[in-house]
Amino acid sequence: MRSSGRSSLLALGDKYRIYILFVVVFAVMSLTAPKFFNVLNFTAIFNAVTMNATVAIGFTVVMICGQLDLSIGSVISFAGVLTMGLQPVLGFAGSIAVAVAGGALVGLFNGLLVTKAKINSFIVTLGTMTILQGSIYQFSGGNSISVTTDEVFKISDFLSKNIVPLITPQVLLTIVLVLVVEFVLRRTRVGRNFYIVGGNRTTAWLAGVPTDNYLNSAFVLSGVTAAIGGVVSVLVSTAATLKLGENSLMYVISATIIGGTAMSGGKGGVLRSVVAIMTLEMLYTGIILFGLGNEVKIFLAGLILAYVVLYEAYAVYRHEKALGQRPELMKELAERASAARSRKSAGA
Amino acid sequence: MSGTSPAGAPAAHPQRPGGADSRALRTGSFSSIVNTAGVYAIAVLFLLLGSVLQLTGAIGNFLSPQNLLNIVDAVALVGIVAVGMAFVTYSGNYADLSVPTTMGFTGYICIELLRYNFAVALAGALAVGLLIGVFNGFVVGRFKANPIIWTLAVNYVTMGVIRLVWVNKQIYPDMVGSQQHAVALFDAIYRLRFFNLIGLPLVILIVLVVVGQFVLARTSFGVKLKLTGSSPRAAKLSGIAVERAVMWSFVLVAFTATIAGLAVTSLSRVGAWYNGAGYDFKAVTAVVIGGMTLAGGRGTIFGVLGGSLIIGILNNIMTLLGIGTFSQDMVRGAIFIVVVGINALSLRRMGRDDA
Repeated sequence: MRSSGRSSLLALGDKYRIYILFVVVFAVMSLTAPKFFNVLNFTAIFNAVTMNATVAIGFTVVMICGQLDLSIGSVISFAGVLTMGLQPVLGFAGSIAVAVAGGALVGLFNGLLVTKAKINSFIVTLGTMTILQGSIYQFSGGNSISVTTDEVFKISDFLSKNIVPLITPQVLLTIVLVLVVEFVLRRTRVGRNFYIVGGNRTTAWLAGVPTDNYLNSAFVLSGVTAAIGGVVSVLVSTAATLKLGENSLMYVISATIIGGTAMSGGKGGVLRSVVAIMTLEMLYTGIILFGLGNEVKIFLAGLILAYVVLYEAYAVYRHEKALGQRPELMKELAERASAARSRKSAGA
Repeated sequence: MSGTSPAGAPAAHPQRPGGADSRALRTGSFSSIVNTAGVYAIAVLFLLLGSVLQLTGAIGNFLSPQNLLNIVDAVALVGIVAVGMAFVTYSGNYADLSVPTTMGFTGYICIELLRYNFAVALAGALAVGLLIGVFNGFVVGRFKANPIIWTLAVNYVTMGVIRLVWVNKQIYPDMVGSQQHAVALFDAIYRLRFFNLIGLPLVILIVLVVVGQFVLARTSFGVKLKLTGSSPRAAKLSGIAVERAVMWSFVLVAFTATIAGLAVTSLSRVGAWYNGAGYDFKAVTAVVIGGMTLAGGRGTIFGVLGGSLIIGILNNIMTLLGIGTFSQDMVRGAIFIVVVGINALSLRRMGRDDA
């Protein structure tokens, strides 16, 4: 890596890519989309992203470890169905605890299969995804579950009423979770070890990092944050639909990659993923405000994911192609050859 | 089923480390025959289980000709997809998750084109299907995008295209403007039966299995694919066009998905985006149960046929027992994880840590 002025500027741009993108999308939408720039819309966006932003926390940590968790979508729905379905029996305190513990268990199951049985994480989580989808329908009988007691409406009101402008308790919860995990990742040894495990598992193990424990805790965290996302979402909407988490996987994966977390692991951050989720949500809100339908939104979301995966793969491809090549040496040789040639022609 | 698992079979005669190569190119080697035989032994066990359940009165007419025919018909659809999927798994790229919407999309295209004639409809559907395959194969083969995430993204995009173009509407073959003759032929894709018994999908499946097994075991493409699946780097260094091999495997799965998509659409007589839902996972499960390892480069198409049989019989028994579709998902998911786990374990016992 040569550090000429231009390339370091580019590197800086790459490093803060997502924040720049956020500002650009915000500016463009504010200027062009009708009714975009007002507090009501911003509040709506904040509330709309809480679920996926919460889910992205654990998902990003799993990806920093170089793994993937495809089961987040079904964990969201599963936790939602448990919260509403068990409420009549256990009360909200009990059902929420069971839902979050369920998410943790799913995460632990995923983690153990990855670390102990040594199965690829996306194969494992593809399996748990299917199992969970079956159990969601099994548990709910195929219908969405709603609770219509005064208590649930009170909770829903509380969670979606502003404490200060823009910030509702559900948004605050997400912000706190993001900041805590971001702090742990960036400022503690435990956090740094996640990056080391993701960067090179063997090296990490040889350096004395208990890699299995870190991978397991990453998957547990992913299960827990997905469950929290599902729980909060159904508490706000007072009903658990079976398709709650259906599209979350698509949104969260694309946001995490756009945020700069590498699929190969060892790089990235939780805050970046959440900013990316905000950026995407602004884009989708803009689409709806322009009067385009939900179909366009889903199509665009798929397209963005495809583009992002292709972009990342292409970057790796170019990097690998350039590996071992020394452009500056080639340039020097070419210069020498041309100098020799000109000397020869001058001599002749 | 851990004791008699197909994956458990190779562990019965462990190879000496550094001795005879467990990864020999001879696909017809002893261990793979034992492997495949194991798969069919399990299929027979499931048949016996069904018979016993019928004798005890737990389920109705498992052994009736009609039910056995139902099983075979269901196996044909899953099997067709599984044969194509097997090539992707064999090439070391795990699975193609864009299968469900490929099936749905090609169904839509075919029905839309029935207004011209049947040949055009068929060609159009195949062209679109193969295009998706080429696209997947190019991106995964050339740029080494993560196959699971990439095909998942393509699945979403195709879904979006369907929803955009047909605005969430389902379409029917006997719509205004369709040629009656073409509609009759389209209906026949699933319903044509030779000797009033053997359905066209089953014939297609058998042809695909025989040809697929031949290609995998007896052609240079098969050998290249095996090397690619075993170690893409080694394959590349020995001069194999890895990108092309991977590309072809994705084209093949798109081809079989298109055929299955047309058969399913013909069966339901409606073009709908959910026509292929679940076929990706069913096919991967069949491939894995059939003894093909997700690490790539190991397994046979005959084994995959056995895997599809097991899935078909199991589904049928569960349906007869009154277990709902969604609980069947749970069982399938659990079996998938168990089989993959056993595979990984037995490979590690053989001294291979790459599972």
